[in-house]
Amino acid sequence: MLAVLVSIVSLGIVAQQCQAIVIYTGWERHALVGSDIRLSCSFFSWRWTSEDVTFSWTYRPDGSRDSISIFHYTGGEAYLDNKGPFKDRLEFVGNPGRRDGSILIKNLDFNDNGTFTCDAKNPPDIVGRPSSVRLLVFEKVPIQAGVITGAIIGVVLGLLVLVVVIYYLMRFLVARRVFSLNVSKHGKKKKEGSQQRQLWTPPPLTCYPLP
Amino acid sequence: MLVLGGIIFLHVSTIILLLVATIDNAWWVTDTVSTDLWGTWELKSSEWRYSNLKTSPNEFHQSVQASAVLACIFSILALFVFVAQLFTLPKGQRFTFTGILQLISCLCVMIAASVYTAELHAGDNGSYGHAYILAWISFVLTFLLALTYLILRKKSE
Repeated sequence: MLAVLVSIVSLGIVAQQCQAIVIYTGWERHALVGSDIRLSCSFFSWRWTSEDVTFSWTYRPDGSRDSISIFHYTGGEAYLDNKGPFKDRLEFVGNPGRRDGSILIKNLDFNDNGTFTCDAKNPPDIVGRPSSVRLLVFEKVPIQAGVITGAIIGVVLGLLVLVVVIYYLMRFLVARRVFSLNVSKHGKKKKEGSQQRQLWTPPPLTCYPLP
Repeated sequence: MLVLGGIIFLHVSTIILLLVATIDNAWWVTDTVSTDLWGTWELKSSEWRYSNLKTSPNEFHQSVQASAVLACIFSILALFVFVAQLFTLPKGQRFTFTGILQLISCLCVMIAASVYTAELHAGDNGSYGHAYILAWISFVLTFLLALTYLILRKKSE
């Protein structure tokens, strides 16, 4: 009885999952004035890519509440904006067969700041949430807050570690060299005679204490 | 024993001053704005609001940030090294490593405060805030501490 219930519930959940389409775009895109930008949109679906797959892009300017449709791909044909702000500036660079519905916007301007939403449908898989990417157009690429800070801190700390390591390495090496020098001295003095051997005693082995 | 306690107390309070100077956003204040090093507090309709720095921090600003953080790090490192050296240094020797670290910390605070004074808010109306003053005070304290560590010798009983 319990097994039947569990299987029904799990089937329901799995069936739900099987039907949802997941759309991926970027989160935020930065671009310079006058440059081109490629807004990527792809989707994941449990079904095979159908021939009736559709992609549509809508644009909502910053500070506005209305969005306009700027791109639509359906029935194997791409329809670009020919009246709105992106007239003659859009190009379809996606591959619907590979579930890619990316568009290329040319010659960006400050008026293009806004949110672009991609909605893809793969019949019969049509239940999904459109995904949005925010476009930010800059005059010049700004230095991200904290890049130089982090770089300076990293370099200085790295130098500190390097200096300390080299210091201890040198002390260790010098200690070993002194050790070997004493041994060779001891050997030489032995050959010179017993008198001198009694006068000269090998120096105590001092291990340098760590500061 | 008293000397040891006094030095450690001074060192810890220097670290605290440095941390407050670095973390508190009050290097430059006007009637309605309290800003730097990390963000800006603005008084809007009798309510203080926090926002990011205007004109995303330029190179000088970021170098001041880095220097202030490094000063704190080196001072804290100096404290740990001092405690370690208390136990491991041979008698009669100076605390050179601690002194050097504290000196570097002093240098970093000086760099931070100087660059800030020279480059930022050169012509604005307003005054320097308490964090800025604390930075200069901790510069003096770190310098004194560094001298102390370089002169002090471990007791040889």
